[in-house]
Amino acid sequence: MGAQEAYLIPALPAAAFVILLLFGKYLPRGGDFVAIAAIAGSFLLLFPVLVDFLDKANGTDFVPVEKSWEWVQFDNFEIRLGFFVDQITIVMLAVVSFVALLVQVYSVAYMRGDPKYGWYFTCMSLFAASMLTLVLADNLLLLYAAWEGVGFCSFLLIGFWWERRSAAEAAKKAFITTRIGDVGFLIGILLLWREAGTFDITEIFDFAARGGFNNADIGGLGLSGNAYLTIAVLFLFAGAVGKSGQFPLHVWLPDAMEGPTPVSALIHAATMVVAGVYMVARMFPLFVLADDIALDVVTALGLITVLMSATMGLVETDIKRVIAYSTLNSLGLMFVALGSGSVTAAMLYLLVHGFFKALLFLASGSVIHATEKQDIRELGGLAAKMPVTAAVFGIGTLAMIGVIPLSGFWAKDEVLHALDQHRNVVLYILALISVFITALYMTRLFIRTFLFEARDRVGWGHAHDAESLMTLPLVLLAALTAVGGLVVFGFVGEALGFPGGFGEFVFFAEPEKFDFAWGVAIFSTALAVGGIVAGWYFWSEKAEPARRAGEALQPVYETLYNRYYIDDAYQWVINRVVLTLGALVAWFDRNIVNDTAVDGSAGLGLFAGFELKFLETGKLPNYALAIVAGVIGLAVLLLVLRL
Amino acid sequence: MGGVLFALVTVPLCTAVLIMLVPSRYPQLVRYVALVSAGIQFALSLIVFFAYEFQGGRGLRFGFRLDWLENVGFLGKNGISLHLAVDGIAAPLVLLTGLVIFAAVFVSWNISYRNKDFFVLLFLLVAGVFGVFESQDLFFLFFWYEVAVLPMYLLIAVWGASSNFGTFVRTKEYGAMKLVLYLVAGSVLIFIGIFATFVEADRGTFDLPVLGQVQYDSGFQKAVFPFYMIGFGVLAGMWPFHTWSPDGHVAAPTGVSMLHAGVLMKLGAFGILRVGMTLLPEGAEFWAPVLMTLGVIGALYGAISALAQTDLKYMVGYSSVSHMGFVLMGLATMNDIGVSGAVLQMFAHGAMTALMFANVGALYDQAHTRDMTTFGGIAKKMPRHSAFWAIAGLSSLGLPGLAGFIAEFHIFVGTFRAGYYWAGAAGILAAAITATYILRMLARAYFGPLNEKWESLREMRLGEQFAGALLIAFLLFMGLWPTPFIDRISDTVANIPGITS
Repeated sequence: MGAQEAYLIPALPAAAFVILLLFGKYLPRGGDFVAIAAIAGSFLLLFPVLVDFLDKANGTDFVPVEKSWEWVQFDNFEIRLGFFVDQITIVMLAVVSFVALLVQVYSVAYMRGDPKYGWYFTCMSLFAASMLTLVLADNLLLLYAAWEGVGFCSFLLIGFWWERRSAAEAAKKAFITTRIGDVGFLIGILLLWREAGTFDITEIFDFAARGGFNNADIGGLGLSGNAYLTIAVLFLFAGAVGKSGQFPLHVWLPDAMEGPTPVSALIHAATMVVAGVYMVARMFPLFVLADDIALDVVTALGLITVLMSATMGLVETDIKRVIAYSTLNSLGLMFVALGSGSVTAAMLYLLVHGFFKALLFLASGSVIHATEKQDIRELGGLAAKMPVTAAVFGIGTLAMIGVIPLSGFWAKDEVLHALDQHRNVVLYILALISVFITALYMTRLFIRTFLFEARDRVGWGHAHDAESLMTLPLVLLAALTAVGGLVVFGFVGEALGFPGGFGEFVFFAEPEKFDFAWGVAIFSTALAVGGIVAGWYFWSEKAEPARRAGEALQPVYETLYNRYYIDDAYQWVINRVVLTLGALVAWFDRNIVNDTAVDGSAGLGLFAGFELKFLETGKLPNYALAIVAGVIGLAVLLLVLRL
Repeated sequence: MGGVLFALVTVPLCTAVLIMLVPSRYPQLVRYVALVSAGIQFALSLIVFFAYEFQGGRGLRFGFRLDWLENVGFLGKNGISLHLAVDGIAAPLVLLTGLVIFAAVFVSWNISYRNKDFFVLLFLLVAGVFGVFESQDLFFLFFWYEVAVLPMYLLIAVWGASSNFGTFVRTKEYGAMKLVLYLVAGSVLIFIGIFATFVEADRGTFDLPVLGQVQYDSGFQKAVFPFYMIGFGVLAGMWPFHTWSPDGHVAAPTGVSMLHAGVLMKLGAFGILRVGMTLLPEGAEFWAPVLMTLGVIGALYGAISALAQTDLKYMVGYSSVSHMGFVLMGLATMNDIGVSGAVLQMFAHGAMTALMFANVGALYDQAHTRDMTTFGGIAKKMPRHSAFWAIAGLSSLGLPGLAGFIAEFHIFVGTFRAGYYWAGAAGILAAAITATYILRMLARAYFGPLNEKWESLREMRLGEQFAGALLIAFLLFMGLWPTPFIDRISDTVANIPGITS
């Protein structure tokens, strides 16, 4: 048992899915234990794979493990399917299998009594199988297939309560929006294949490193240099924009909160939405080889998303949607890290984000479970009733804000450090501003949910900490949230059996020794603390200052509350442009193509036949006349031809 | 084994005769005869597909020949003979035909008005379809083609349904007449093409393998190929000659729609490949950009039109135009991956659209309306029916794991390989629009709170469920393990002259 058997990791949940789909009805408890056993097995299998992988490594010189099988075979076209294990794969596998395990345990209590309980675990198993396949895929086709697979599971789970109109709409919106990104993704894959002749990721890297994409051209556009590769990776990035909810395709993620809360924790925070980050990290050699514009775009969209989502988080009142905005905020930071050239920072953020964001969602799930409310205007004062939930939520909040020494601090610092080193100062300052805003809205969320007076006494009255099945995952996640960031230190990594700190395990090109940047740390901590203090000032007690500020800045408030009117704009485009175009084409088809051209030509035939029949008079003189005319005509024709 | 192919055309013909002999006071007996016969055809088609030996050499298998006219007049050796054989392209399509007729009999179980006549015509049509896929003789190919098309008129005009959309009316007679006139107009072009080819080849035979060995003059090829392309293209729903298709599908009874969209439209694309591209490779190469353009327009235009439909059946009808556009795109790539993709798409679309029409029919039988805006939340009442819809829809929007993805992916790869980047990108966009209209429909009609008006809806009949499950099994088969299909198809496609690898 070693890294060669890594395919078993997705195979277990896949088997669980098949079992649950076929026999779930006949199993006790809807077969939830099958799903949990499978994902626990996947998580445990990770250890032998990791040990084997570390054994084979020589210091920080890691040897990726790859294994593939033939799938489709043409004369000179072959598709192989297989898996590929390297450092970022292992980080992702750890996040996915661990969070999935905790979320499924939590769901046993959270979803208890739901009429579709068994179906929930069926979908969860399918999701785990697809997501783990996505992570392990050694070629772009399999990656794409799994990518669509997780999108489909996301659709099923957002629409889990499809009897609600809003859930059905949100599921549809999520699928279609990400699908728009996937149009680009598939085009990018095909562009890479067109030149490299393979879908295998490693082979594409080798091909690119040999300069294979140099001076490639698209249908006579006259591209030269790296232009082809740049276009291809930008198309790939479109897929990441859709999946990871970056501007301008971010609109689906807040709506996706219609799904059950554990689903939000797993799919829309810890795993699926980071698939875009993972994909860019996986394809990073191509992004580096391409022209600078590729990584510039990644940084720019990431930063726009960070600022937009943070500001929208300030006025949102639904507890889950605030956390969804914070997820967009975090995803944006990961892309900023990638755009600044630091795979290490992005993957570290991805790792700890998996912990603290899952924690925040699951804790908010406990709140919703206990109070049946999710509007923070109706919450408040829950710390007294739910001390454990409040404590872990607090830890998650501080980690998201980035307070030393919680995990979020180290990750965010790495991102800021990378930005500071590789990008200009304006971007750095903008990112620092976002740190302040993050602290502001996260503080608001915590205060309005857990502190001061409860605004709805009924829900508050019967609230209490959830049972241990739900609380245990929270505590575990909280512990990891608190200390997980310490993996940046070499001695911590070595104690765990790694050759060094996180940067010496996950890196691009060169191992990165952890380098504590005092300047960045002081700035960001000051801003974070400032944000917390300001948040306290605005939203403590009756939140009077916040209300006054909202009134003073009415237009700003309106803009933020309406999410910069982006959803409205899309809705307008869909209603006014897309559907109008559809109606126009349908009208054209019916009236012009069919009724005019088709029926018209039929009508012309009918009309001509009707008119021509009058030539058939039955009167001999008429025919004689025609014969004479014909003879004369022919004679004339002959004469003309002779001459 | 040649007898299998002969049996596949004779079984439906004999069944038609047999059903005629059943007294019409025993409608139930008619149904069982039809079912048994369809079952036999399905079994035979499975044999043809799985026993097809795809390795080694050019792929004509199960050869069977009955000479009809030989050495008379202008005809020489093998002048006109019932020459049947399948290659790797025909084998999956034979299987598709067997599959869809079997499913269609289950779906047509409750037809009570003159059900005897209905099944007679249905089997006549199916005999024609099998005949076209198996023919290795141009004359008989044309003959079976007409046999397949003409029963359509009666099937639609007698058992069909008219639609009133308020602002305009589409009667079943109109749909039937337009369909038949259009297809007959197409076959006039094919007829011209066949005789031109016969005369130009000057071998005194209509035998396809013989005609395939002739080197035709390049100018001749360029001049004659359009006759095949447009003639067969009409039946393939090629834009702008597609308008018979949505109207015809909507007017037809469910089982006939299934066969029509599922199988008959494939005859057109199959004809372009089997006759046009095989005999006239240079002509095909010359006209490929036009075919590609029409395919792309069809794919996008069909998808956008489907977006605007509120009638479920029209939506499926336009989606067929869109998906057949993909098939034409695949053919126009002129390389082995793209053309294989086109054949894969024929199978995938055939099974998927048959499932969609079966679903629409199952709902219409109970609700007596197909207007998706009047429904809402009916998944609660018809969970399996809804799941079937979702699976068919997901296959059509190209979800990996289902047949549509495999087919579309090959087509997209083919377009990129051939250098038609714009066409590949447009095709991928069309697939995204497909996602939009499918999910809009599901969200509107099937999800959300249940509209009280539909409290009385019940799950669809067991027979319909069986038919749907069977079709889904094949969608999954091809989606998860496409190798048997690709092995058969790619081997033959690679041997078609003019197809690059």
